[in-house]
Amino acid sequence: MSDRAKKARGHAGATTGLFLSGADGAISSVLDLKSLSARFRKSLPVRIYDNLHSSESINAVRSVVREERLDSVVLAGESPLFYRSARNGDLLLRVLQEEGMNANRIAIVNLKEQTALPHRATPLEATRKASVLIAVGIEKARLSHDVGMIEVAPKKTVAVIGTTSGGIYAAQRLLERGFHVAFVDRPRQEKATPASADAMPTLAYVKNHPHAVFHVAPLEELYGYAGNFRIHLKGGVRLRAGGIIVAIGDDLAYTGELYPFLRLERSNEGHFRTIFSDTAVTETVNPGIFLIPHDTPPASVIACADSAALSLDTLLKRHSITHELFVSEVNQEICGGCGTCIKTCLFHAAELDPSSKLSTTNIKRCVGCGNCVSACPTGARDQVSASTEYLLSAIRILASYNPPNGIRLLYLLCEGCGYQSLDFAGREGMEYPTSVMPLSVRCAGRIDTQFIIEAFREGFSGVVICKCGDDRCLNIVGNTDLDRRANLFRAVLDSRGISPERLRIFGVSNCDGNSCVRGAVDFIEHLRKMGRG
Amino acid sequence: MKKLRVATGHLQGCFGCHMAILDLDEDLLSLLDSIDIVRSPINDVKSVPKVDLGILDGALCNTSNVAVAREFRKKAGKILAFGTCAAFGGINGLRNLFSLDDVLQRAYVETESTVRGKVPSSPDIPAMLPHVRAVHQEIAVDYELPGCPPTPKMIRSVLKDIIGGKKPVIPQKNLCHECNRKHQEMYVPKREFVTNAVHAIMELDVIDPDRCFLEQGLICMGPATREGCEARCVKGNVPCRGCMGPTTGALEQGAKMINALASILPAGAMMFMEDVVGVGYRYSLPVSIYPYREEK
Repeated sequence: MSDRAKKARGHAGATTGLFLSGADGAISSVLDLKSLSARFRKSLPVRIYDNLHSSESINAVRSVVREERLDSVVLAGESPLFYRSARNGDLLLRVLQEEGMNANRIAIVNLKEQTALPHRATPLEATRKASVLIAVGIEKARLSHDVGMIEVAPKKTVAVIGTTSGGIYAAQRLLERGFHVAFVDRPRQEKATPASADAMPTLAYVKNHPHAVFHVAPLEELYGYAGNFRIHLKGGVRLRAGGIIVAIGDDLAYTGELYPFLRLERSNEGHFRTIFSDTAVTETVNPGIFLIPHDTPPASVIACADSAALSLDTLLKRHSITHELFVSEVNQEICGGCGTCIKTCLFHAAELDPSSKLSTTNIKRCVGCGNCVSACPTGARDQVSASTEYLLSAIRILASYNPPNGIRLLYLLCEGCGYQSLDFAGREGMEYPTSVMPLSVRCAGRIDTQFIIEAFREGFSGVVICKCGDDRCLNIVGNTDLDRRANLFRAVLDSRGISPERLRIFGVSNCDGNSCVRGAVDFIEHLRKMGRG
Repeated sequence: MKKLRVATGHLQGCFGCHMAILDLDEDLLSLLDSIDIVRSPINDVKSVPKVDLGILDGALCNTSNVAVAREFRKKAGKILAFGTCAAFGGINGLRNLFSLDDVLQRAYVETESTVRGKVPSSPDIPAMLPHVRAVHQEIAVDYELPGCPPTPKMIRSVLKDIIGGKKPVIPQKNLCHECNRKHQEMYVPKREFVTNAVHAIMELDVIDPDRCFLEQGLICMGPATREGCEARCVKGNVPCRGCMGPTTGALEQGAKMINALASILPAGAMMFMEDVVGVGYRYSLPVSIYPYREEK
């Protein structure tokens, strides 16, 4: 049937290794890792470890990579979020890269939060489902091409947004360490005294420092990456900063203003938040941008300021910072220069090449969300981190799992909200049927309606899209663009005899496990009542 | 040089693609120096002799079409699916959105001009297939040339390649590449749509002949459609209807066009005003991801 599908590129002679983690019992007590290993051992090297983060297992992985000459790996165990949110959680990833493995050839399969924990009551089914999820991971490693990298010489200036106590303390630390500091704040009608009286002497120090400047103007543009951010202020001021500290306290209006530029996660109340972890107090999802959280108690403000300043000092002292170009790429053979991606990308990252009149990606601006990839009517655009070919293939593989209740649900999960929520549900001990087949995408905007119809053709009974709530999309309009696409597409589903009710869109926040799980249970019940059609 | 023996056959369609061969005008005469058309609907030879190249136009709609296609595959060294119907099922394919019974009822009984109509049923009449299919969905096809009909320029170049023993290469960018209309709003990143409303062509008193149709609120399939037609409709101030089918990077036209339109034109207006399905899948439904309506 898929006669128009492109031939798989794959990697000739490539060797992928599979590493299974028992998660110190959390996985091994539910899943039959031996049988999973037996299933995949025929086609690729497989190893089982108690976990994938102890120094013993990291060293063991390293030697297997060397012995077996692996050029890609599948890490099946903890959620991919673990590698990002636990302090030094990414050690294994760094080691693999030291061994010469490209970041895009490392696939992570979530066997803990989204398999073992929620399906602990049905270990046999959980193991069958795990086997399908691993197959998707192998496909990811196989189909992904190396991500390009650039070296950035870090700028020795830090932009501090917000002249609050936290910002002032952090600035003082940085000035003492030889950095330049540029304060940015919004013009205020009220008297500007967000800093506490205790911070006044430090404010005086900062004000008198020759390397500190103050700008009061709204942000016009902010782009770039850790080591080299470009900040444009209204009135013509152009700043370059190696890092950014956001210290705006509980100023919700300012948060709203900064949100489209900074792309930081927000709490349900609307405040910026750091990575969901107690061990990364000032780190945000956006590397190079640090946050003094709004609810930091006065006594801890200075600790947060120290943490942010120390992190930036470590980062910017480096000779160079490597930046992986997880961007959108354009196949110039297919692009016809229609402008759809240019119109769609609010990061101004899709540009028209003046000579060829075709679209190109500005790598300084592209955040890799994939909204332009969905929008591109020709398929000329693709996402480096998750190609269209991989996502379609993943949907076909996920459809091969037949749950005991006979109802297959594809869960397309935005990484910023739905994926985290489903993880959260698992950690909180919520259980749900194995019918839920998760597939993470960078942003809801990456969801091409071709994926939806492909899922139904492959036999899914229902498709759920978890996207961020109304003004919470990290990529500004990914969630609204998805909404429009999917809702227009309902007419197509209807025309094929597929009830549009089989497509549900949930707006969730990043720890909304409850609505993800209850939504699944409700939906399964609804689909059971609907029967066919 | 030995002449290439060619047979042409007609499946289901309007015969326009065969007419298009005649559109080659005097070039047809020079083409005949290197090919021998030993069988075609025009010289009315019923059987298919052994040939080097079989050219099929039209879609597969009934059992006779299938038999002809299979016969061609047996007798021809190479098969060229010629025109949009052969390549994608074409406009015939829209009937895949209805059950065969409903289609026959509508055509033979319910049409407004029919009096005491009856669905014909004779063993002599080839049975309709439940769904329209493209030629490559039944037999192996070596080359495809879309177009409703293909332009003389493309026919010439494809036949020339085949005669020369080369695999013909057809353009693979979208129509916007060969459309000369001016873009303004399409090149401006912004949250707002390029227009406030969506219009049908007849609703507008004036259609700017030099400006992108989408920017005038008219749905144009150009972005999701392969180039190569020389933008004939667009030059005639009519938006593209998508007959050249999807580009090589897309799995299907309908979904891709919806993806694109959702950030260009007011989605709400489109939902109520336009036949989104008919617009998106007009020529390529049988080769789309879900190529027919599922019967309950």
